Amino acid sequence: MIGTLSEILEQSLQRLATTAKTYVPPLLAALVIFVAAWLIATVVRAAFLRLTKTAWLDRFVVESGLSSLFGRNRPLETAPLVAGVIYWLILLVGLLTGLNAFNTALTTKMVEAVVFLLPKLAAAGLILLAGVWLAQYLARSALIWAVNENLPQPRRIAAAVRVLIVFVAVVVAADHLNFARTVFLGAFLLVVGGMVLAGSIALGLSAHEALKRRLAEPAHSGDGEEKSLWNHL
Amino acid sequence: MLTEEARRAVAQLKKADIVIGIPSYNNARTIGHVVRAAQAGLAKYFPQLSSVIINSDGGSRDGTQEAVLKASIEDPRLLLLNTPLLPVHKLSLPYHGIPGKGSAFRMIFAMARELGASACAVVDADLRSITPEWVDLLVRPVLHAGYDFVAPYYHRHKYDGTITNSIVYPLTRALYGLRVRQPIGGDFGIARRLFLRYLERNDWETDVARYGIDIWMTTIAIAEGYQVCQSFLGAKLHDAKDPAADLTAMLQQVVGSVFTLMREYEHVWRKVEGSRPVDLFGFRFDVGLDPVPVNLERMTKAFLTGYRELREIWSLALEKSNLEALAAVCRQAEQNPRGWRLPDDLWARIVMDFACAHRRMPVERTHLLRSLTPLYLGRVASFVMETETMISSEVEDRIEQLCLAFEAAKPYLLERWDSVGKSQTAPAQPAPVEVRT
Repeated sequence: MIGTLSEILEQSLQRLATTAKTYVPPLLAALVIFVAAWLIATVVRAAFLRLTKTAWLDRFVVESGLSSLFGRNRPLETAPLVAGVIYWLILLVGLLTGLNAFNTALTTKMVEAVVFLLPKLAAAGLILLAGVWLAQYLARSALIWAVNENLPQPRRIAAAVRVLIVFVAVVVAADHLNFARTVFLGAFLLVVGGMVLAGSIALGLSAHEALKRRLAEPAHSGDGEEKSLWNHL
Repeated sequence: MLTEEARRAVAQLKKADIVIGIPSYNNARTIGHVVRAAQAGLAKYFPQLSSVIINSDGGSRDGTQEAVLKASIEDPRLLLLNTPLLPVHKLSLPYHGIPGKGSAFRMIFAMARELGASACAVVDADLRSITPEWVDLLVRPVLHAGYDFVAPYYHRHKYDGTITNSIVYPLTRALYGLRVRQPIGGDFGIARRLFLRYLERNDWETDVARYGIDIWMTTIAIAEGYQVCQSFLGAKLHDAKDPAADLTAMLQQVVGSVFTLMREYEHVWRKVEGSRPVDLFGFRFDVGLDPVPVNLERMTKAFLTGYRELREIWSLALEKSNLEALAAVCRQAEQNPRGWRLPDDLWARIVMDFACAHRRMPVERTHLLRSLTPLYLGRVASFVMETETMISSEVEDRIEQLCLAFEAAKPYLLERWDSVGKSQTAPAQPAPVEVRT
């Protein structure tokens, strides 16, 4: 009995030793790599903040209207943002290198997956950013147009434009990532189809009389009040 | 630049000393009168010079071109001429390119260049008050007094020309220091060397092609040191603007052109302090004017709606203190729709804030300019309420006060301009500009 127990214990200790021999050195290596990556990331971030001039980038962000995506009333400082991106990228590279030190099937798969996915994620992020920027731009255009044309609920018109454009951007980004492709495409088709149908019904029910009048009397395109506004020039 | 038809006409005419240009679009109702007045003016005041009247049409569908070709002086004996009379040719030609007044002017200037004209005058096709004397007053200072640019000076109803009165005149005067009262009047006399300068520029395909043309011509003439004067033309009575035209687009094109030229001529206007009068030709007299109806309620409503809905966009341009002052004005307008005011100094700073933002945010330029419409309507409403009981001379004094407010706000403009532009590069310049003094 005691012999059996000691045998089991011995085997267990042997397995532990084997496991330790197999995994501790890579773990230590991974830790060292990760700590080194963290140190490098910290130094690079500090150096970037201290040495790099990003005035041109700040200007680009203001001129392109991107700054208003992040905060309207104060100009966006791009240096901390870029430094942060660099910091996290170095950390990610350190993490992946550390994981690679284990040299197992699982870690190799994980590293491959991240390396494969990263450019796609970046592209999807850019698509979303461009979509949000375009949505804001077109929503503003719609808002100003609706206000100047004295249309009711101008903010709702602008919001509808914004939601539609962001939705399109999400569909494109999801398609790019191959993520729930059919769900997003289906939803997109449903929304656009629904909008076209709703627009057609609304036009058919409520606007056909007005359109008929408009088409019948093309010359009557403005009343006295309207004309008075144009005399100001 | 010239169409085949225009080239043939130039080849046939060969030479003209004076060119009168009339841009048009659906002006059949008034253009006959304008052509007759121009013809009579040329025959009466410049009988020994060869001349041509060019109608540059933007595709009218109401018989404008036919009206031009049909127009003739009913009884030439009434002119009581005793000098040899050279015939006045008339041409009505369509122009190519971006549809708009500027494109029409471009073709007129190009033809004037080909014909070797010494002077060119342009007059609007919707004028009802033009007389033959206008031709003399616009052309003579160029031919006989050495001026390069003759701007009009009219009597207008106090509510007519409010873009001029509330933005363009005060701002142009404060920037460049010359009191050209009607910088976008539409009727100008231009010397050869100046229209050649216009033609050599490469910004014709911008807002200049449309309603920006008038302020573009005036600003270049002033900023590049050409000799500028004004001629008193009497009353300006014109047809109502095309109701299909868009007020916002007009405002955007005119104000956008002023702001764009501000970037180009920064080196000129930043040195200017105060303003000085401009030589004025012609005998000044008072005239009766058509009343201009305005809808105060609607303008106030547009202003308040603009404040409610577009504040976020205005905040891109406006300094915090100006936005707060504007908020106070809006509260006042909500509480007392007939008794509120948008003060001159605040209005001047608002316009200057927009000019700086126009420079700082190229992508947002269209939004900024288009969002200016409710603010402009608010300023007009305030002006209308303030001047309701005033006679025209009092209104003119009131406009003078506004101009002084703009001049006083110039240090503010410089400060804001420099604060947004320290790290910016100057916009690409089409050609080096030599400033004549």
